[in-house]
Amino acid sequence: MVRSLHVMIMYVLCHLGLIFFMFPADIIASTEQGHWFPILIGIIVHFVCLLTYMKGLSFFPKKDILSIFSKSKKRVTFLFFAPVLLYLIMAIIITVRAYAEIVTLVFLSHTPLWTIILLLLSVSAYISSKGIEAILRTAFLLFILFFPILLFVLIMSFQNVDWRYAIPFDTDLGFISKPAYFESYFAFAGGFLFLGFVQPFFSYERKYVILSAIFLIPFFLFSVYIPILTLGQATASKAFLPFVLIVDSINIDWLMFDRVTMFFLLSLIAFIILYLSLLMWKAIRIINYYIPKSRPSYLLFGLSVAIFFVCFWIPDWKDVENILFMNSFLRSYVIIVVPLSIYYIGRRLKRKDTNETI
Amino acid sequence: MEQIVLDIKKALGGNDDFFIKRDYLLKKEVLLLGLSTLVDMTKTKTILQKQSEGLISQGKTSESIFILMGELFEDDTKKAITSVLEGKLIIYIEHTKKFIIYEPVPKGLNRSIEVPSNESVIQGPSNSFTEDIDTNIGLLRKQLTSNKLLVHSFTTGKNQKTKISLLFINGLVDKELVENINSLIEKNKSMDISNLQSMSKMLGFSSWDTVSKFNTTELPFHASQFLKKGRVVILVDQLPFALILPNLLWDMFIVESDRNFPFPIMITISCLRVIGALIALISPGMYVALVAVNPEALQIELALSVAQSREGVPYPALVEVIIMLVVLELILEASIRLPKSVGPTITMVGGIILGQAVVEAKLVSNLLIIILAATTIANSTLVGAQSSLSIRSFKYINVILSSLFGVLGLVVGLVFISSYLASLTTFGKSYLYLNIGRKEQ
Repeated sequence: MVRSLHVMIMYVLCHLGLIFFMFPADIIASTEQGHWFPILIGIIVHFVCLLTYMKGLSFFPKKDILSIFSKSKKRVTFLFFAPVLLYLIMAIIITVRAYAEIVTLVFLSHTPLWTIILLLLSVSAYISSKGIEAILRTAFLLFILFFPILLFVLIMSFQNVDWRYAIPFDTDLGFISKPAYFESYFAFAGGFLFLGFVQPFFSYERKYVILSAIFLIPFFLFSVYIPILTLGQATASKAFLPFVLIVDSINIDWLMFDRVTMFFLLSLIAFIILYLSLLMWKAIRIINYYIPKSRPSYLLFGLSVAIFFVCFWIPDWKDVENILFMNSFLRSYVIIVVPLSIYYIGRRLKRKDTNETI
Repeated sequence: MEQIVLDIKKALGGNDDFFIKRDYLLKKEVLLLGLSTLVDMTKTKTILQKQSEGLISQGKTSESIFILMGELFEDDTKKAITSVLEGKLIIYIEHTKKFIIYEPVPKGLNRSIEVPSNESVIQGPSNSFTEDIDTNIGLLRKQLTSNKLLVHSFTTGKNQKTKISLLFINGLVDKELVENINSLIEKNKSMDISNLQSMSKMLGFSSWDTVSKFNTTELPFHASQFLKKGRVVILVDQLPFALILPNLLWDMFIVESDRNFPFPIMITISCLRVIGALIALISPGMYVALVAVNPEALQIELALSVAQSREGVPYPALVEVIIMLVVLELILEASIRLPKSVGPTITMVGGIILGQAVVEAKLVSNLLIIILAATTIANSTLVGAQSSLSIRSFKYINVILSSLFGVLGLVVGLVFISSYLASLTTFGKSYLYLNIGRKEQ
């Protein structure tokens, strides 16, 4: 079955959920001026990884990355997949914890944090228990329901823009040494892996995924530039969540609601729940591959409970940032090693095949 | 009397409407067996005589005439009993062990074809299905004159014999779907079918699904349009509506008779229904969230007027909403139960309670009445009784989550409902598909 449209929407939604929160703050913290350059580098890295990964996967039609390695010994492949699994689980923990914190900050100041963690985790576990088809279809419905709101708020957020803040354009490579810059890759890393997991269930055309990645470029740019154009670099760098702050300052007379942020944030949280369910599904696929006898639903339940307690145990935002930084090593593994090795194995297999036919 | 007749008598003789009458047909002794409540004996006898005389005058032998009159069976007691129960007349030829199953003139037990009582049509064919399955198939055949329309019939049930018919258009329908349904009906033939729950058990659906797997319609016109879209229609005897498989989400928003309007109008009407579904789902939850948890989301003037309208209401917004929603559901349910002559009373009493008294007594806020009215009206815009019921029940998830988490709860509730709808499948066909039929080649 070809499900290009669903894969496309899923790809867009996952990234949209991640872009608008930590990404602008990280980029603004990593350089003083010419923010377009770190964003551009990020996008290029993103595209290179994506293309390598998809090219590699295209050598194995109808196989996911687990079954690509099925010929080698399980212990050996475990070395390859353990960091991926760890990354996925850490990504779930970071996302849940961070977004629960953001929710309490922005609009539920009296609600205990653990209840929000519980809510996010239980709904995403429910969605992921329904399987990848249901996840992608949910993505379709959520896109129809929430994407118009997001787009509306995004357009409205240009309200207080002063274009002169965009200059100076010139830039340097100083951001490479900043940890915040590597943290910004969180917005790229989590999303594209699922392309390697869905192939036994259905196929997709590569050009649509690339189209959706191109579609995302303006969102990456706007998320950083709207805060800068509104507040200026000096003020924007002081803000904890610059984009949320900007959205909070939007004033629309004719709307019955005072805080547009709420709707913006909420639609992003709907996408984040979807992203979480996708991460969980991937994690369960890997775990289930190594413990084939256990039932996925039990594994899912166990995983969610474990993650809940870990999230509960993280005391404050500083620790979230620490984990996010520690996660950078795993992230570079996922961004660099996984696509390259899939590509390498694919090429070798192809060469072998052509040799045999000759 | 002979063995076979004794056997039938043993099985059915306890019924006072069962008769065995001795008669002569073509100068042979015959026994007529049947149920007087199902067979119009006077008319049947007249026709029987006329038919046999007509055949004699053509010079046929009595043997061949018997074969011409109906199906001839030998020594099959079971078949004879079922036929009697189905309202057939058994003509038993004495000393031969043979009997004929004859199609008699039935008693008029069916109502005539009327306009639908639960679905209203604006500018569209308005014949509706009746209880008799043959009439229903006939209605469909009349709507859809095509040699590709196929009808498969089954008789099911152990204690209660029920006729089920499966209709589809060959070439448009997914063959796998038809085969699946066919084999499941064959497999569970011994089940007694009298309602949709037993029907869905027969087809192996989970009995805990909140959204019905069947789309139902009373209108042969709608059923025929669904057939053209590649769906399967199941007719069950004594159920005055057609079951359409699979049920899809968009059926809630699109009615076939809308196609009698200009295209832009049709789209607008469908959009209205989508908005209706959203309002029905969101508005009670939104009220709870904005009043109890996130009043700061509203513009200050609005927030103040909301607060003012709730002045003096002694309990939290959740309790307020739940009380009023329950009262509303009670009114809806009561107006279905009550006879048509008493119905308006309930409307009047309900209207007074909901409209004026409850607000003046400071039990609920003014705003809530508006919200409730909007919810109920919006819910009624949806097409199909089954779908609107599930939307009606889903809104409580949103109300409860909103009372806990405010607007976040509302959104999470929507995500949850979306994922639930997305996870529904019928024979591998997702609930969210726009169309399942194959393209006509």
